[in-house]
Amino acid sequence: MDDKLFITLVPGNTFLDRLTGKTKTRLFFLFIFMLVATWDIRVIIPCFVVSVIGLLSIKPDKKKNIAITIFVLLMNVFNLFLVWFIEPDYGLKMCGGSTVLFQFTDYFIVTSESLWYFGARLFKFMASFFFSLTFIQCITPSELAAGLHSIFVPYKICMVVSLAFRYIPDITRDFTNIKISMQTRGMELDSKKTKVGTRLKQYVLILIPLIITSFDRVGNIANGMDLRGFGKKKDKTYYAEHEDTKADKYLAIVVWILLACFIALVVKKTFFPGPYEVWCPWCL
Amino acid sequence: MKKSLGQKLLGTWNTKTIVGVAVGAALFAVLMNFGGIKVTTNTSLTSAYIVPAIVGALFGPLPAALAAGLGNVLADLIGGWGFWFDWSLGNFVCGYFAGLFGAFGADIEDGKFAVKDAIIYAVLCIVGCALGFGVVTPVLTYAWYSSELTITWIQASAAIVSDASVLIIVGIPLLFALAKRNAKGTNLSKE
Amino acid sequence: MTKVIEFKDFSFRYKKQNEFTLHDINLTINEGEKVLILGPSGSGKTTLGSCINGLIPFSYNGEIKGSCKVCGIETQEASIFKISEHVGTVQQDTDAQFVGLSVGEDIAFSLENDMVPRNEMLEKVKESATIVGMENFLQSVPYNISGGQKQKVALAGILHNDVDILLFDEPLAALDPAMGMAAVDLIDKVYKEKKKTVLIIEHRLEDVLYRHVDRVILMSEGRIVLDTTPNELLKSDLLKKNGIREPLYISALKNAGVKFDKDDNIDNIDELNIDKYKKNIIADFKKKKKTVNLSKEEKIIEIKDVTFKYGDFTALKNISFDICKGEKISVVGKNGAGKSTLAKLLCGIIRPSEGEILYNGENYLKFSIKELGRIVGYVMQNPNQMLVKDMIKDEIELALKLNGFDEKVTEERFVETMKMTGLYSMRNWPVAVLSYGQKKRVTIAAILALQPSVIILDEPTAGQDYNHYTEIMKFITDLNENFNITILFVTHDMHLAIEYTDRAIVFADGEMIGDDVVYKILSNEEIIERANLKKTSLVTIAKKAGIEPEEFIEHFIEREKEERNNG
Repeated sequence: MDDKLFITLVPGNTFLDRLTGKTKTRLFFLFIFMLVATWDIRVIIPCFVVSVIGLLSIKPDKKKNIAITIFVLLMNVFNLFLVWFIEPDYGLKMCGGSTVLFQFTDYFIVTSESLWYFGARLFKFMASFFFSLTFIQCITPSELAAGLHSIFVPYKICMVVSLAFRYIPDITRDFTNIKISMQTRGMELDSKKTKVGTRLKQYVLILIPLIITSFDRVGNIANGMDLRGFGKKKDKTYYAEHEDTKADKYLAIVVWILLACFIALVVKKTFFPGPYEVWCPWCL
Repeated sequence: MKKSLGQKLLGTWNTKTIVGVAVGAALFAVLMNFGGIKVTTNTSLTSAYIVPAIVGALFGPLPAALAAGLGNVLADLIGGWGFWFDWSLGNFVCGYFAGLFGAFGADIEDGKFAVKDAIIYAVLCIVGCALGFGVVTPVLTYAWYSSELTITWIQASAAIVSDASVLIIVGIPLLFALAKRNAKGTNLSKE
Repeated sequence: MTKVIEFKDFSFRYKKQNEFTLHDINLTINEGEKVLILGPSGSGKTTLGSCINGLIPFSYNGEIKGSCKVCGIETQEASIFKISEHVGTVQQDTDAQFVGLSVGEDIAFSLENDMVPRNEMLEKVKESATIVGMENFLQSVPYNISGGQKQKVALAGILHNDVDILLFDEPLAALDPAMGMAAVDLIDKVYKEKKKTVLIIEHRLEDVLYRHVDRVILMSEGRIVLDTTPNELLKSDLLKKNGIREPLYISALKNAGVKFDKDDNIDNIDELNIDKYKKNIIADFKKKKKTVNLSKEEKIIEIKDVTFKYGDFTALKNISFDICKGEKISVVGKNGAGKSTLAKLLCGIIRPSEGEILYNGENYLKFSIKELGRIVGYVMQNPNQMLVKDMIKDEIELALKLNGFDEKVTEERFVETMKMTGLYSMRNWPVAVLSYGQKKRVTIAAILALQPSVIILDEPTAGQDYNHYTEIMKFITDLNENFNITILFVTHDMHLAIEYTDRAIVFADGEMIGDDVVYKILSNEEIIERANLKKTSLVTIAKKAGIEPEEFIEHFIEREKEERNNG
């Protein structure tokens, strides 16, 4: 099961891995927010480059990452195709121009503005995808909890996140065991051999013991936490969050710059919106 | 003990609730990644959507919403899909409604879940899915990505239909079964 | 002497229950004492512990009468955080209380909540981890460490606050025999080095007495029955009456007709003055009947040179043995030794990488999991993971319906199974009202409905006290004797293996290191050590008395069986 998960419990040893959870989390969220806030390719492309460098720098498992990247890429291309299918001249709305490149019928036309928009959109989505992929693979759940706490998420919610990670493997194991036990009693889980209705009913049967045993442990866990002073004070410190390294201190400056850029982008978008969403060099 | 309106709408919060939300979110993530129910070869319903109903029954609607929302983020995290806050917030809203039925008198822990409660639950699920995936998600998607609404709508309606059907078709028998498992035995005699 | 715990006319009732769980408790524990709180399940011993560590009334509401003071604090009036500055608790469920994602993080949990800065935290964590011997595992994740190690982590986690009282709630429940011994040893070490007051809540008396305790408090039905030294307790006849198992060597001495004098020291087997009892033991041993050998008849399952690999990891290496009709076999070994892999192989959930398995002479590869389920039944450890229906009848009939039996056969089999398992009078009951033992019975019945010739039971008695244990095991033995069903116990409970099985198969690191009559295995010290088993006190006492351990154990087992059969 472990090879199906992207997040790792044991810290790695690359440059990004060695940063604090705080730096990783802040950088990640700022990049994502910037990408959400802009359609400007002059911002998107640099972000995309950073995201690719970031992903490569943590030396990720090739097979797993390539597989999911291809999958996400295809999904996105398919989505773009849908957009084009529904409204071929979408570029006019987004960039403010309509330069026809090909024409299949009166309705299905390909314009350079639409292609420009599709390109910007693809890079925007792929950049945020690569950022997430990097983030997930260079942070441990405990660092994530500490990192979320550093962006002002209440510590009790951060505790929910790290606790959930703690019990995911246990629940997966129970799930497998319950399935096995039902199979030996004669339940046919092969989707070719059973009808949809039967499969739904069988699922209810498997879920009942899974739910009961999963929630059975709640009382014991909560007691263990109460007895060790959880909730005693208004806040909590984090064992998994090491002191800032030199790199963290330099990157703190980057965090401030990114924050400033983000605010600038939002201000521009809110108070000085251009006539069109997407900046396009030849439509000015 | 009577619960106040605030407690009904927000749930009771203590360490147990925190743990309950965490276990719920973990369960959601596990079912999202491993618990698909194949309908045809290419489509599958995820059984994860019943989690907010259970968390709601045990701890109240806000914990249910959190379990669904965070569970969705975690599922994306461990599956490697990236973050889709628009969908996670949709799940949050949907989870709130799916977990709200306890406020109308049903009590799974005490074995109380009647046909009336099932109807209330079903209605809440439909409302929740419609609001979550039909309003919250598209609005956020539009605000953040300014994507064309048509496609978001198509995806949203697919989500409404599939999630509401899991909540209802799998959820109702499950809630009945769980309530029966918790019911106190009365007048049992050996035959 | 300072009183650290003081109960005065204390009673407690849980909110959801009508009856009081604790009645009129009067108990004083002084600073620096090491006390065992002994009692069967439902005796109120865990509730008593919860009153001491503050979970009552913080987490469990209810009605309190009288007073309970811990280090001078009236627990009803103080917050759990105040009390936890004085009392450190190691809970029974070591897995659930491990909330961190690494050993270091879990040890640090109480420091985190106390907002200790990280650099101070590192030092303290290291210090506590060193006391329990976990300093080299600080980075380990909870999924890669054993139950015994988790317990050490839990103990380390409460050491840094310099609490006055250490409370252990059933510390042995989840551990294999050797780990249990190590745990008792560690508790003793901390007790001596840190000079704390130590309270141990347990029902496994013999294992706790492996190291000295000052006082034993015996509880039954919510009351304190006896408050005395271990020595006095062992001489009394209160143990069996209250559903606590006597240490085996004590039973052996009593069987031999030994009468203890007032000043006999019997609570430590190593210091036992055997000369005094030797005559009795030898005289009694002469009455021993002839050795019975295992008779192998009809082979049901033949396992031939089977190897199983998970990726590069070899979980089982060249295993060969046969299972014959009507046998009772215990499969023993520490966690990860290959026991559960073997169980999965026999059920066909995984198939051998090399070698073959024959069922009634036929290669089992041709059977599907479903078909195998009608030959080999598998009963999981936790009945709650198996029960899927709300009515007993539906649960039993589920497997029959899934296997396509018609209504008439299903009904017949249902009635038959209910009669076999003694559940007939409860056949129309819902599952919700059943006790743990009854649920266990229902899960076994649900498997029996398919009429398999072999049943595999995974740790059937885990976490059960002596009464429930005896009840479950008697039930299984009856099935074996009356219906000739072959039974395989996957277990690390040595008492179970000794008393209820004829043959033991021992695994260590994926290899089969022993397959013999139980008492031969148990007197083989090399096997005992490799498999993380514990040498039984019967071997020790036999050696002291100059008797061949093998035969002494056999004699003891025969004696116990006779006694059991006579009621």
